[in-house]
Amino acid sequence: MKLEGLKNFYDKQYKKLLIIPLLLLFLSIASIFFQYFTTGDFINRGVTLKGGITVTIPSLTDVDSSELESLIRSNFPGKDISVRILKAEGENRGFIVDAELESSEDIKLLKELLAENYSLDEDDLGIEIMGGTLGASFFKETFWAIMIAFLLMSIVVFIYFKLPIPSLAVVLSAFSDIISTLAVVNLLGIKLSTAGIAAFLMLIGYSVDTDMLLTTRVLVRKEGTIQEKIFGSLKTGMMMTLTTIAAVLTALIFARSDVISQIMIIILIGMIFDIIYTWIQNVALLRMYVERKEKKHEQS
Amino acid sequence: MNKAKQMIKNARIIILLVFLVFAVVAIHPNPYAKGVAIRAVQPNSSAQIAGIESPQPSATPMSRERILSINNMPVENVADYFKYTFELKPNTSVYITTNKDTYILKTKPIIQVEYLDEYEDKEFIENVLVNKTYINETTQEEYTVEEEENRTVTKKERKTNTTIVGTEDLGMTIYEAPKNNIRRGLDLQGGSRVLLKPEKKISDQDADVILENMKERLNVYGITDVIVRRAGDLSGNQFFVVEIAGAAESEATELVSRQGKFEAKIGNNTVFSGGEDIKYVCMSSECAGIDPMRGCWQIDRNQWACNFRFSITLSPQAAERQAELTKDLDVITEGSQEYLTEKLILFLDDSNVDELNIGADLKGRAVTDISISGSGTGATQQDAMVNTLESMKRLQTILVTGSLPVKLEIVKTDTISPILGEEFTKNAVIIGLAAVLAVALVVGIRYRKIKIVIPMILTPICEVTILLGIASLIGWNLDLAAIAGIIIVLGTGVDHCIIITDETLRGETEHIFDWKKRFKKAFFIIMGAYLTTFVAMLPLMFAGAGLLKGFAITTILGVSAGVFIARPAFAAAIEILLKE
Repeated sequence: MKLEGLKNFYDKQYKKLLIIPLLLLFLSIASIFFQYFTTGDFINRGVTLKGGITVTIPSLTDVDSSELESLIRSNFPGKDISVRILKAEGENRGFIVDAELESSEDIKLLKELLAENYSLDEDDLGIEIMGGTLGASFFKETFWAIMIAFLLMSIVVFIYFKLPIPSLAVVLSAFSDIISTLAVVNLLGIKLSTAGIAAFLMLIGYSVDTDMLLTTRVLVRKEGTIQEKIFGSLKTGMMMTLTTIAAVLTALIFARSDVISQIMIIILIGMIFDIIYTWIQNVALLRMYVERKEKKHEQS
Repeated sequence: MNKAKQMIKNARIIILLVFLVFAVVAIHPNPYAKGVAIRAVQPNSSAQIAGIESPQPSATPMSRERILSINNMPVENVADYFKYTFELKPNTSVYITTNKDTYILKTKPIIQVEYLDEYEDKEFIENVLVNKTYINETTQEEYTVEEEENRTVTKKERKTNTTIVGTEDLGMTIYEAPKNNIRRGLDLQGGSRVLLKPEKKISDQDADVILENMKERLNVYGITDVIVRRAGDLSGNQFFVVEIAGAAESEATELVSRQGKFEAKIGNNTVFSGGEDIKYVCMSSECAGIDPMRGCWQIDRNQWACNFRFSITLSPQAAERQAELTKDLDVITEGSQEYLTEKLILFLDDSNVDELNIGADLKGRAVTDISISGSGTGATQQDAMVNTLESMKRLQTILVTGSLPVKLEIVKTDTISPILGEEFTKNAVIIGLAAVLAVALVVGIRYRKIKIVIPMILTPICEVTILLGIASLIGWNLDLAAIAGIIIVLGTGVDHCIIITDETLRGETEHIFDWKKRFKKAFFIIMGAYLTTFVAMLPLMFAGAGLLKGFAITTILGVSAGVFIARPAFAAAIEILLKE
């Protein structure tokens, strides 16, 4: 009975529900701007987008992460250094050290420091060194890659449906999804790497999937009422999102690689927002469009 | 039973099966592959002399030669290999059995040479050109012909004291035998990647020269499992990417940055070095090639040797230095020729590559045009010539690259230890399997029909198999970014199967009997989703030095395989299975 009521509310009050995604989008944009004005950057840039060194130390588990961090900090005063714990299957699997170091002397010193204090072999470490200028240009490059990808995606959507307003609704849904995901990624303090950028590109594809399903079912299909079409596509679309979330969650539990973990967490956040933006925002815009069209049809 | 027959006869399913068979053949899985595979063979090592060859970098992993036993003791892993080779004594024969052949290697001793302050006479066999006069029998006229002649000469040499201090390495780098043809990228197998950026913009032609030179230079070190390629980005920056499998970070940067330090020394003094001192290196046939004066000769029954020579032009300063260093040297006479007591020794990155006699007429003179020579050997005359010209090209390259058009700057390095790489690979497989199980659980709860769930899980697995097959076939390296691409393929695969299934089930309840109509709708959505994913990946093909290119290509290949091969087959299977 309660479920019926919820269904009814969703069916009848879709215009009021539209406030939720719009508010979310507004808050997300505000938070990204806040980030920009306080830090000077839209995102938290990781080593690959900023320059510096990332050292992955596997199989070092009997050390406290704050102890490791203070040890490194004391040797490199004034540098931005962070230590993360590499987790897999709920257990510590080692550490990842991000350091804003660029000169080869500093890097050598860091390697020696780790090798001496924890009797590690250099061959066991994963080391990524990114030059500062290249990091900045990488950031610019990948930023443009996302912009172009988004633009190309929009063009495909417009050509595919040939109807400006429903196409715009699809594109807006994908846009909102990306913006809100970025805001949450920022709030969680995740430092984005190039892999993270790849995840945002994946998100473009994933979030458009359900919107296309919805728009096709509502506009192209002849049989059934609009409610039937929406609930039908909701059932299919939720299933799609659920399978993705199931896969992403398992990957998050088992992943030992930082790259994979970051991709998974971004897609997970994106999928949750996708539910709101597709099934509330896009549905509302699409219904308003269909109703206006029907009214016009009746008038003429 | 009838349905199984229908499925096998269906064109779409047949197409999928054909692709699957091709993919499996290309991947060539063999979990029982034994031994250790040969990554590279050092030039002039015991292994190379015995006839073991370095694999071509393009060779598929499964076609690489594998060592199965050493002296009849089976080699199961890398540790075994080191254990057995560590025990080897110098100047003994080692029997190495590979999956292709059995080789007999002779271990080389490591000799320490001590130069004593005494001289002794030593006999050498030298090949010299002499003018011989003959008499033509019919015309009784005299004529002269240049002929080669072997003659024994006696030279004064420093007395030496040699001691054997150990056994030289067999000269092979090895790794655990691959179990399939899937090439793993650096972050999954361990190794280093160095990204280099020229200091200023260079022309395409210069970039090609640099690329060739870098390859040549790395070959000098006997490193064959190396990828050198050009890369660019959207802002028009140029990069060179060097990937060396199995190398640690310090090793890789050293290799890339130190390469090609060329020095020519007399005694301990440098006469000239690569770069500034060398103004011109002749590459054309008039002044470079097999030495016409010394040519080729047979050393013994199955070994030939040839000499090459090419001329270079030194800077006046270098010529001056040569004059300074040679003016106090003594002249020694060897047969008809007069040489200086010290030789000009050529060093490449501090290892002696050649020694040249200095003609007596050069003593104390500042000559800018000099001739560089060297030699090569081979089993036949033809082989010897090929090898000689190869070494000449190498040396020329080194001399030229000393004066590269621009300096290259290391802008990024990343290294994954082989242990970490192995762990990532295993982890990726575990993640894949766990994710498939989780998805199976979710669709199982929703559809509750085994005949829907099984094809729905099999379809994305088929897609990934085809993707891996294509990757093996074109020699594509799968790295962590490519794993992310595979995840997209799996994800959209399941999503699209859900769309197809729901359209099919809906058609049933609404009594749409035209199956084609049902699928047309499903595929309209799928094609739209496919096109958006496709175009979203395109910019990454060109952005950021191509470091995310692997991700983009894997995604595009996999999703295409899905949309055009596997998902239509799934639709056909579902149609047959659900039709009453």
